[in-house]
Amino acid sequence: MDAPSNSIKIFAGNAHMELAKLIARRLNLDLAKAAVLKYTNNETSVTIGESVRDEDVYIIQPGCGDINDNLMELLIMIHACKTASARRITAVIPCFFYARQDKKDKSRAPISAKLIANMLTVAGANHVITMDLHASQIQGFFDIPVDNLYAEPSTLKYIRECIPDYKEGKVVIVSPDAGGAKRATSIADRLDLEFALIHKERKKANFVSRMVLVGDVTGKTAVLVDDMADTCGTLGKAAQTLVENGATKVYAIVTHGILSGKACEVINNSALTQVVVTNTIPHEDKKKLCPKIATIDVSPTIAEAIRRTHNGESVSYLFHNVPA
Amino acid sequence: MNNIVVLSGSAHPKLTQQICDKLGIPVGKVTLSKFSNQETNVEIHQSIRENDVYIVQSGCGQVNDNLIELIIMIGACRTSSARRVVCVCPFFPYSRNREPEDLTFDEPKKEEAPKKTKKNKTVLDLGQLPLQQSTYKHWTAKSGTLIANMITAAGADQIITLDLHDPQFQGFFDIPVDNLTSQPLIAKYIRDNIPDYKDAIIVSPDAGGAKRATALSEALNTNFGLIHKDRINKNNIQLVGDVKDKTVILLDDIIDTATTITKAAKLLHEHGAKKIYVVAPHAILSGNALNLINESFVDELIVGNTIPQEEHVEKCPKIKVLDFASMFAEVIRRVHNGESVSFLYGDSHNWEY
Repeated sequence: MDAPSNSIKIFAGNAHMELAKLIARRLNLDLAKAAVLKYTNNETSVTIGESVRDEDVYIIQPGCGDINDNLMELLIMIHACKTASARRITAVIPCFFYARQDKKDKSRAPISAKLIANMLTVAGANHVITMDLHASQIQGFFDIPVDNLYAEPSTLKYIRECIPDYKEGKVVIVSPDAGGAKRATSIADRLDLEFALIHKERKKANFVSRMVLVGDVTGKTAVLVDDMADTCGTLGKAAQTLVENGATKVYAIVTHGILSGKACEVINNSALTQVVVTNTIPHEDKKKLCPKIATIDVSPTIAEAIRRTHNGESVSYLFHNVPA
Repeated sequence: MNNIVVLSGSAHPKLTQQICDKLGIPVGKVTLSKFSNQETNVEIHQSIRENDVYIVQSGCGQVNDNLIELIIMIGACRTSSARRVVCVCPFFPYSRNREPEDLTFDEPKKEEAPKKTKKNKTVLDLGQLPLQQSTYKHWTAKSGTLIANMITAAGADQIITLDLHDPQFQGFFDIPVDNLTSQPLIAKYIRDNIPDYKDAIIVSPDAGGAKRATALSEALNTNFGLIHKDRINKNNIQLVGDVKDKTVILLDDIIDTATTITKAAKLLHEHGAKKIYVVAPHAILSGNALNLINESFVDELIVGNTIPQEEHVEKCPKIKVLDFASMFAEVIRRVHNGESVSFLYGDSHNWEY
């Protein structure tokens, strides 16, 4: 006999309350009541304010801001729901924690992404929903199911509707590094546009040296596509290289806009016309410092994924379409 | 000593340096930093292949940052083929089960909203939020099992800690836990430094610590007393035991906001205590604790150095610090060499503080 139907409960930590509210509104629900605070000695305190017994719980907490505090909040909320007999707990992590520490690239380097996967499982998560993982192989770090959603349909929609010169076909999709080539070619193919690649020599983390353009951008609008923009050193130098090679305008569309450190200054001083980021990470304060930043709202995609997961429907629709 | 590396987290590097000085080895070379987006970065600069690694990290300061740092260091040691990874946590985080009283989940009116710190996080101050109204009884998550599971999942092989708030916490782990006790060291300090200790009375500031206080009073052969807070009628506080004209030694395991001990000191003063000492191995002293202690009837506050105390000593002249580095160094030496640790608690051991 099938289990009786239960309802969706959406909890939000302190990392990105606005996104959680957008998702809840889209699902026609209120955010579930929880108090996530800190004691005076900096330990996190989580109090769940309503019954979650046998319910389908979704906890929305991207990896941004005070990352370690937000990670502990997420883990303690998952654990609290587990001990409260929730039927299923899904961690919705639009921007995954420590996603860039995913391999042992030098001696004695920790694989922190694997540790985070273990922590989430040990805390009691049954399912993880994330978006544009830095390396999709991170799904293999988990023994529980992981849904890696794509921001690509939203990106395509933005290019079609908001990038000038798109209709004349005078747009080139450019990948700012060799690692993102697959992502950029996928977008270029779907839009039937040309593609170019920038190859960079990197000596230290977060510090870029020389950049070489492979492909032709003369007289065209270049659209740089990447999964994350952190200090924006890459994007700034890439824009410079493109303009030096004849591009008329340079846009950047990035899924996760971390924009830490001097990123806003770099963008303001660069040759970029506009930097478009999704709202997986809150950035309203950055927009005040840098008017070149625009937002793509991905809450419909995440809300739809939650709805389909709850109802047991296929999520594949979201890999190629933006929900209306 | 061969094949041993002691690494320090960012919580209490001074204690690690003292421990390594006593062991006669250098502190392991590690660089701890944060990336631009606040993620923790751990770089170990020496080979630890087939070594026993001891990571010293206390649960104080920015607790969540230090806990994640500890977990990443354990992970780094594991992937670097360390033979054994032992966590030395002088003060274990999230070991207390605390209830924030009187929480409500109705939309707070603007003037009733809790205080926000400058990082836009709310700091929980007990008693600031109004009484609950609904029939659902909310409860605060107890994170002990989660922390234990996280540290085990990261790959630790053993835990060494001191005076766990809740001794049953050892059972949350599947790996061995050495829960050291500060009692012999505290007893020695009292014998050496409190002149009329034989006539003193050891008092526990709450009923939960009664066992701890009686154990110390038996070791010192002194009298014992207890302060009992009535949970239902909050104004009713009772003292069990006679303190008139006596030296009183209040014993607790953790001093956080210091409200418990300062209220206890006031009560003892009202009952005629001559001099009031407070002893605790773990002194967090968060929030307004130092001011409360300076203004209270506490004459001397004797604390362990499981949590860094330099700043506290500057602001509060009543504080004396007991050094636990020798104890930890000796335990690490014995664990590494496979010798008995219980031998330390026999009568013949000569403690240093």
